[in-house]
Amino acid sequence: MKRLVLRRREEAVRGGQPVAFAAGLVFALVIGALLLTISGDPVLGTYQRMWDRSFGTADTLSATFNRAVPLALAGLAVSIAATMGLWNIGAEGQIMFGATAATLVGRVGADWPSPVLIVAMLIGAAIGGALWALGPGLAKAEIGVSEIITTLMLNEVAVRLIVYLQTGPWKDPDGFGFPQITVKPEGSQLGIIWERSHLGVLIALAVIAGFAWFVNRSVWGYELRIAGASAKTAAYAGISMRKKVLGVLVLSGAVAGFAGGIELTGTAARLNENISNGFGFAGIIVAALALMRPSGVALVAVFFGAVQVGGQSIQTLGVSPAVAGILQALILFGAIGAAVLSTYQLALVERKVVTT
Amino acid sequence: MINQLAALDISEAAFLGLVVATIQFATLLYLAALGEAIAERSGVLNLGVEGMMAVGAVCGYIGAVSTGSPWLGLLIGALAGAVAAGVHAVVAVGLGADQVVSGLALTILGLGLANFIGDGYTDDPRRSQFTDADIPLLSDIPWVGETVFSTTPVTYLAVVLGVGTWFVMNRTALGLGVRAVGESASTADAAGHSVVATRAGAVMVGGAFAGLSGAYLTTTGIVGAWSEGLIAGRGWIAVALVIFGAWRAGRVATGAVLFGFTLALQTRLQPFGVDFSPILLSMLPYILTVIVLIVISIRARHQPSPAPAGLGIAYRREER
Repeated sequence: MKRLVLRRREEAVRGGQPVAFAAGLVFALVIGALLLTISGDPVLGTYQRMWDRSFGTADTLSATFNRAVPLALAGLAVSIAATMGLWNIGAEGQIMFGATAATLVGRVGADWPSPVLIVAMLIGAAIGGALWALGPGLAKAEIGVSEIITTLMLNEVAVRLIVYLQTGPWKDPDGFGFPQITVKPEGSQLGIIWERSHLGVLIALAVIAGFAWFVNRSVWGYELRIAGASAKTAAYAGISMRKKVLGVLVLSGAVAGFAGGIELTGTAARLNENISNGFGFAGIIVAALALMRPSGVALVAVFFGAVQVGGQSIQTLGVSPAVAGILQALILFGAIGAAVLSTYQLALVERKVVTT
Repeated sequence: MINQLAALDISEAAFLGLVVATIQFATLLYLAALGEAIAERSGVLNLGVEGMMAVGAVCGYIGAVSTGSPWLGLLIGALAGAVAAGVHAVVAVGLGADQVVSGLALTILGLGLANFIGDGYTDDPRRSQFTDADIPLLSDIPWVGETVFSTTPVTYLAVVLGVGTWFVMNRTALGLGVRAVGESASTADAAGHSVVATRAGAVMVGGAFAGLSGAYLTTTGIVGAWSEGLIAGRGWIAVALVIFGAWRAGRVATGAVLFGFTLALQTRLQPFGVDFSPILLSMLPYILTVIVLIVISIRARHQPSPAPAGLGIAYRREER
């Protein structure tokens, strides 16, 4: 009897993650084409439209960059936690609570000078995200509670908190009874730097570059990588795992919360329950595809931003915008497959028969 | 709040409505959580529940209205859920990729696929419905009979599946194999169990249960139709429920009734005249789960954790 197993290749196929990503992209486009064909939608027409409306012109490219910002920052947040082998599945909730905190600052300082207001809101957002990650961080560091489930659960709490605020305490008095939060103050809008791209694009790039330096070059980042690689080595070197775990999760939350602040001041008109729009979950895929490297996170985020922006545009062709979500997941599955198959090969082997 | 409830003159109809809704939500949550518990007992965390439920819901609805049989709809929904879970089985079990990433990607894929497949069905006027099955004699009991013993057959099916799962897990060699693989894959492998086949099977059975749960919404009179965003985070509650119920079929059932009750209360507080935001109430299942996790972790210092020891750890044979 034969069975299929994975056997390590004598020599790994070279090319690394960029090739795996490309393979994932091809895989996604092929499966996507299959689905479109089955449902009777134009394959090339759909892909053409997605390209045109994402990378096609300066105008659409600038919109793609805007969309890439929260994806990249969420991806960065996930990758920061991953340096310690931790999973921050709560970027979605931290983005939402960060934006909520920024909205609170905006309500207090609505008539502050614009630059002061924006900086205060962004700092508020980062603090909000950090606070939302503080509970899971403490639980993990002090008691050893899995951060995967606690961060995940708090996503659902955060979205309900926003719904509560918009139906009750923060309901727009001029909203004709419609449950929505008052629009953000005028002075809180981030400036436009290129076509439709707002200042948040540059800020996000700076934050990512800063963290890339921080993790790779600073003492704290060095200790972090040691602690992430081996708890025993870290203990021997006198590094406190508890402090590192707590610090890294809170920092990860702060970055995600900051993304919420940028989204509010840059793109959104007001805080609502869709402020994160799945960025936290997509950010995990982005970080995984970038192998948790900050520079890779930025590049993958631009691709995912393009898929999302392009996906919204195919609705006018009569094609379901859900194609975007399908493609994003398939890129990941394809890339994982390619990465595994670059070091392993499928082989049929004889089933071992144990005789006694 | 309890005192408030007791002090009120609760109308019989509102109370019966609450009980019926609790049973409906409990059934929905229990089916999905039971499936997730099976997968997790084999050592595989599958965060794709939300996506598998959506796929099951849309396929179940299309199956039911195009064949005219809600039973066939349920079956198709379950099969669709199993197929969706197959993706996780291939990527996270077969290829040994990270279970967290693969599961979350499955949620994104499942929600996308469900919306894509259901694109032409959101305004479909056709409705799928089961006739309530009355259990003879028991359904004649006042109050209890009208609610507990006169409901869709799916609720009874969920009870049967729960008992069946308990039996298979705790009283058969198959269940022992699943649990062994979940505790220590390498030990089970050495003992001659195929880790990949066991885990893949458990994940796909879990997916079938999740698909059944989603189809329960769309094939019964609860909704009986498909719309985007129908699952609305209930898949995450199912994930929470597995922890709340300590990975045991029986305790998960208790948790399902409790969580189902809080979901049922949300839309029914006003009729009781209780002035408490239903949205704040809806946070309760998630907060309770976090508290339970913390309690489990504190107790784990003195006694073994109820979580499968190998949960979330990928296994590749040659890396033994």
